[in-house]
Amino acid sequence: MAGNYWQSSQYQQWLLDKQDLVRERQHDLKILTEEEYQKIMIFFANFIQSLGEQLKLRQQVIATATVYFKRFYARNSLMCIDPWLMAPTCIFLASKVEEFGVISNSRLITTTAAVVKNKFSHAYPQEYPYRINSVLECEFYLLEMMDCCLVLYHPYRPLTEYFKDLSNEESLYPLAWRIVNDSLRTDVCLLYAPYLIALACLHIASVIEQKDLKQWLAECNVDMDKILEISRQILALYELWKNYDEKKDIAGILEKMPKPKTS
Amino acid sequence: MDEKQKRYEKIDFLGEGQFATVYKAKDVVTGDIVAVKKIKVGTRTEAADGINRTALREIKLLQELHHENIIGLLDVFGQRSNVSLVFDFMDTDLEIVIKDNKVVLTPGHIKSYTVQTLQGLEYLHQHWILHRDMKPNNLLINEQGVLKLGDFGLAKFYGSPTRIYTHQVVTRWYRCPELLFGARQYGTGVDIWAVGCILAELLLRVPFLPGESDLDQLSRIFQVLGTPSDEDWPGLKALPDYIQFKQFPATPLKEIFIAASDDLLDLMSQLLKMDPLARCSTTEALKMPYFSNRPPPTPGPQLPKPSTASQKDEAEKEQKSLKRKIQMESSGASLAKRLVF
Repeated sequence: MAGNYWQSSQYQQWLLDKQDLVRERQHDLKILTEEEYQKIMIFFANFIQSLGEQLKLRQQVIATATVYFKRFYARNSLMCIDPWLMAPTCIFLASKVEEFGVISNSRLITTTAAVVKNKFSHAYPQEYPYRINSVLECEFYLLEMMDCCLVLYHPYRPLTEYFKDLSNEESLYPLAWRIVNDSLRTDVCLLYAPYLIALACLHIASVIEQKDLKQWLAECNVDMDKILEISRQILALYELWKNYDEKKDIAGILEKMPKPKTS
Repeated sequence: MDEKQKRYEKIDFLGEGQFATVYKAKDVVTGDIVAVKKIKVGTRTEAADGINRTALREIKLLQELHHENIIGLLDVFGQRSNVSLVFDFMDTDLEIVIKDNKVVLTPGHIKSYTVQTLQGLEYLHQHWILHRDMKPNNLLINEQGVLKLGDFGLAKFYGSPTRIYTHQVVTRWYRCPELLFGARQYGTGVDIWAVGCILAELLLRVPFLPGESDLDQLSRIFQVLGTPSDEDWPGLKALPDYIQFKQFPATPLKEIFIAASDDLLDLMSQLLKMDPLARCSTTEALKMPYFSNRPPPTPGPQLPKPSTASQKDEAEKEQKSLKRKIQMESSGASLAKRLVF
């Protein structure tokens, strides 16, 4: 349930500019190309999604964990904390914040280890190395790095609201929902208000299904340039996915990824 | 993070509860006096749970809330499960004011405390948050007489029709009848009822309905306000823990609160409506004639200061009040205040 987005910490503190992201990524982009960086972020979003599904979490919790992950690396280099540790930490914190049941820490670690082994061994052939102690330590860094801003607004709720108005176009709903899920693999959740992302996903879905929603969108009276910019970023993701075999390429990219110094 | 710990110089011990220890401290960067609430790391299982859930709930909600009548969360520091929250420093609370028999509460004072409480609560409800632990002890008051709602350890977003909530919330004396009958879906009415009880306590200077068990609580409510009928409260009998009570007639509020003005009693009867759907909202309450009629609410700086003026005495007093609470909790007379849900 939601308070008021316009007075939220998400709007007031965590709506970033493209320039912010570019600046903060400079360090990692000395080592990785922009495309490689993007592939790493996509990969870990997939990892968080798999973890969440294995733990039977609701999509809301998974989305929250994914945005936490992105917020952390929007302000830190990948070498600051190993993303293989950060991903389950984000799930752990998100499940507490969203109050959808308790994940015991032994279940978190065993599930993470199992998911790595069964689904991501192409990227991480070794045994999963982290224990709960590292997660607990990491949790605090995550909280602190986000300036304790924990409540998130996602596009799912506005999307559902728009479909109440578009009762004739129900068939677009599942597709638009999936596009929102995919949008978590881009930077749009850090750059735009959730209702704009919802509209952009709805727009893309309408184009794919060849439904004409131009009139309806025009009546929404929103900044169409922003909607189109969000759409462009999501379409760029699909373009990237088309020509990319993650299973084959990711291990090489992760190899290049800057690592935390182990003392 | 060690730096942050050093930023707050401990001045005094303020109190200890079941879940946290509170210190008065000085922020060496700004020079401000603050309250540092250090969450206790209890059992090993709790420590293994990472950042304490109650603390996390306070952090996440207070980070979104900014209002004159809501306690401000200034900072968070610590490591692992060892979390400290830094709050605005508040000199006293409404429980101490009510209990201090040297303090005379005029109608203007009572109106000021009530309006500030309702304004904070209105803001909270507008943000779809229930406080769920409204009581004098959680209404904190600073030197300027500003009242702020504190202790968000039980607060929660509400309004999701599919979610089931625990009914084991709100300290018993301030708990509304639907919670006592086991309602799992409830709303802003739980906080409103508590405000009604607090207003009554401001007049009586003792708790209005000090039930000794959940059943006793209901029977005290009905003895004073009358046992509700089906017409008073449709749907009453469908509540999970509903039981039939003896038919008590309602005592007119005028007979209990002899000195209170009619406009105040109108407000109280709206706050203490048996049927939660008939109970007024904060916004409706604030629009009632009581608040625009004379006398006006007393300005903050002119509100009474509890007689134990020196901080040391206050700290001791708070300790005592906390001790009393702990005793009550261990004797089983009071409910467990916080539950994991």
